[in-house]
Amino acid sequence: MKNLVWIQGLTCNGNSHSFLSINDTMLDVFLSNINILYHPMLTSEMEFKDVYKLLLSGKESLNFLVVEGAVNTKKDEVFFQGFDVFEILNNLKDKSDYILAVGNCACYGNFPALYNENVKGLQYRFKDKGGFLGEDFKTKSGYPIINITGCPAHPEWIVRTILSLNFGYDIKLDNLNRPKDFYMYLAHDGCIRNEYFEWKVEAHEFGTKEGCLFYELGCRGPLTHSPCNKILWNEKSSKTRSGMPCIGCTEFDFPLRSKYFETKTNIGIPEEVPLGVTKRAYIMLSGVAKTFTNQRLNKKLEDTD
Amino acid sequence: MRVQKIVLNRVEGDVNLKLCWDQNGKISDAYVVAYNYRGFERILQGKDLLDALVINPRICGICGHAHLMATVNAIENLYKNSSIDIEITEKAKLIKQITLCSEIVQNHLKWFYLFVIPDFLNFFPSLETEKFKPFVGEKWKKALKFSSEIVKVIAIFGGQWPHTSYAIPGGITSEPLKTDIVDALSIVDRLIKYVEEEIFGMSYEDYLNVKDLEEFLSKSKGGDLTTFIDFCVKTGLDKEGQSYEHFITVSTVYPCINEGVIKKKKCKLNLKKIKEVKDFNILYNKETGYTYANGVRYDGLPMQTGPLARRLTSETELFLNLYRLYKDSYLVRVWARVDEILRILINMKDWLLKINVNEKSYIKPKDYKKLYGEAFGYVEASRGSLIHKVKVEKGVIKSYNIITPTMWNLGSRCNKFKSPAEKAVLGLEDPLKAQMVLRSFDVCSVCLTH
Repeated sequence: MKNLVWIQGLTCNGNSHSFLSINDTMLDVFLSNINILYHPMLTSEMEFKDVYKLLLSGKESLNFLVVEGAVNTKKDEVFFQGFDVFEILNNLKDKSDYILAVGNCACYGNFPALYNENVKGLQYRFKDKGGFLGEDFKTKSGYPIINITGCPAHPEWIVRTILSLNFGYDIKLDNLNRPKDFYMYLAHDGCIRNEYFEWKVEAHEFGTKEGCLFYELGCRGPLTHSPCNKILWNEKSSKTRSGMPCIGCTEFDFPLRSKYFETKTNIGIPEEVPLGVTKRAYIMLSGVAKTFTNQRLNKKLEDTD
Repeated sequence: MRVQKIVLNRVEGDVNLKLCWDQNGKISDAYVVAYNYRGFERILQGKDLLDALVINPRICGICGHAHLMATVNAIENLYKNSSIDIEITEKAKLIKQITLCSEIVQNHLKWFYLFVIPDFLNFFPSLETEKFKPFVGEKWKKALKFSSEIVKVIAIFGGQWPHTSYAIPGGITSEPLKTDIVDALSIVDRLIKYVEEEIFGMSYEDYLNVKDLEEFLSKSKGGDLTTFIDFCVKTGLDKEGQSYEHFITVSTVYPCINEGVIKKKKCKLNLKKIKEVKDFNILYNKETGYTYANGVRYDGLPMQTGPLARRLTSETELFLNLYRLYKDSYLVRVWARVDEILRILINMKDWLLKINVNEKSYIKPKDYKKLYGEAFGYVEASRGSLIHKVKVEKGVIKSYNIITPTMWNLGSRCNKFKSPAEKAVLGLEDPLKAQMVLRSFDVCSVCLTH
C-alpha cells in the first residue's frame, strides 16, 4: 500500500471535513488502497514527530503528501504539530512522489493570504506562479503540485485524484495545475436552472426555484471551472441547485472579489460573460433569445405542463 | 518545577499544551497555546456587509455553518436596530435551525468516536476496543458514515456542507419541495435509530426519562456510551477534570436549549457583562503573551460554554443529578455532548414536520447599503456560545468582532483566572489524561485564533 501523509498550514480544516464527508463506499476503497500514515485529526497510534523521523530517514516512503492550508515563505510563522511548516515542506518536497494542494488556501493562499503578504499557496499566490515552492518545481513523479481547488475541495475530487494516481493513470492538468477530469467542467454544467439560462429568464430575488442566478444575483456558474453540478455535494445537491449563486470558490480570484450576490453590469450587460463567448456574440444571442417567449418559463415551476 | 510541552493530536487545528509539574508529580499550571492566526476580523474591515456571508463560514471548517448563522443574525439585528423592517418567515427560521443543528450532530458524532474514544485504546487494548480504532474499527467507520449522512440534511436545503452561504438576511435561498423534507426526515429518522441502538442502548423515550447514572446503566441494553462510562470509572475520569463552576449559554434553541448563566446559582443572562481579555495574547502583548487567542469573561469570571453548560442552564434533571455527584468532570462533560446528539435529532424531526412549504423562503429586505450602526449575532454552535459583533456604515463593515466558544473555554488567561480548560487539568498526574481533559472541551484552535 502506498503511504499518504496529510499536513496542515493556515486552514479552517474545511478540506479535512469535506474529505471525511465522503460516502462510505469510496472511503472503504480509499482505506483499502492507501495507507494514511498520518492525519492530524485521525491518527491515534503515531505522533507526527515519529512519522516525520521515519520519512526523513527514508525508513518509510512518502507517496502522497497532501497539504491543506496556506503556507508562509517566512520561518516561524506557521506551525504543524510542533514543527515549522516552512521546514517540513522544504524537507519533504523532494521525498514525495506526488504533492497535492487540497483546497484554495493550499493552492492559491486564499483568505489568509489577504491578511499577510508572505502567505502563499504551494505553487501559486492567487494567479501568480511561484508560490512557496517556486515556478518550476516538480515532484519525483514529474508532476508539479497538483491543485485540487475549491473552498473547500469536494471529497470525491480529492479521493478520485489520489486513487487515479495510485492505479497508475496519467492525469492531465489544466493551466492552473488542476486535474482536467474535474476542472474541465463548469459549475454551470448540470445546473437545474439551465433552461432559464438558455432563454435569458432572470431570477430577480432569492428563494424561488425559477430563473437563472447569473444575470442579477452574482452567479459565477458559467465562468467557474468545477464539476459541482456533475458530482453533487454530499451526494445531494449543489449551491446553484439550492438557489445560492456560485461564488467561484474553485478559482484563484475567489477571495479577491466582492459583492458575491450581485452581478456587475455595464448598461445592463454583465461585465463578464460566459467562458468561450465574446461579449458581442453574447449580447446578440441574449437579444435574440429574449425575443422568443417560452411560456413554460413565465410560470411557477409547479404550474408548468 | 519541570515544564513539559505536548502537541495535541486529534483536535481541530494545531494546539500545544504547556504543562508545569510540581515535586509531587502533579500538574501545577497549564497553558493552552495556539498559533496559526489568520486575521479574519481584519480581513473583514472595509468589506461589503453581505460579503461577510461568504467570508465568515471560512473561519471554521467544522462549525462554519454556525458562523454563517451568527453573521445572518447580526445583519438582521442591524436592520432591527435601525428600525428598518425585516421579515423572516417561520419556514425560513425552522430550516435555518435544522441545518445549524445538523452541523452540531455531525460534530458531536465525529468528536466522540474520532477524537475522544481512541484515547482509551492506550488504557485498554483489546479486541473490544479495536472496534474504535481509527481507519479500521467498525465503530469508527460507522460514526463517520452517519456524520456524513446528517450533513446531507444541510445539503438538501443549503446545497453543500462544509461552507455554504444559503442563509441570507431575509431568509434562505432555497425553496424546498415536500419530498425534500421527506428526504431530510428519513435521514434524521435513520440517525435516531442508530443513536438509540448503538450509543444509548435504549429507546429515546426511555433515555429522556433517565434521571441518573445508575438508572442509565440498569436500563441500557449496552451501547457505546455504556462502554465509555465503564472506561471512565476504571480510569478515574468520572471524577477528574473539573473546572470552575461557571457556565454560560447565550442563545435559546426552543425547546431543547435555554439561555442562562450559572455562577453560584442560575441567573439571568446580561449580554453587556461579556468582555474580551487580551493581556496574554501575543498579538497585543509580546512580553506576557503565550497564545494568539483572546480570553472571554462574564462579569469578570471565566465561563464554560458548550453542551454541559446548555444542559445545566436548561435544567435537565439527568445532568443536574450528574453534576451534583461528579461536578463537571471529564465523564459528565463528554456525556453532555453525546446526550445532545439525541436531544437535537428528536427536535429536528419535529421542526421538519412543522415546515409549511407554502410560506415564502425569502422576503427581500430594504437595501442593506442604508445600514448604519452596530449589532450582535448570537448562536449556539457545536462547542458553545458564538457571538459576532458588526459595526457598519452605509453597508460597509467598519469593524467585526468574533467571540468563539473555544475562546470561552480555552482562550488566554487573565491576571485573576486561568481559562476553564487550563484550570481543569490542574492536579492531574498523567499527561495523557491532561490531553483527554483538554479534548473533553472539544478543542478547536481554528476558531480559537481565527
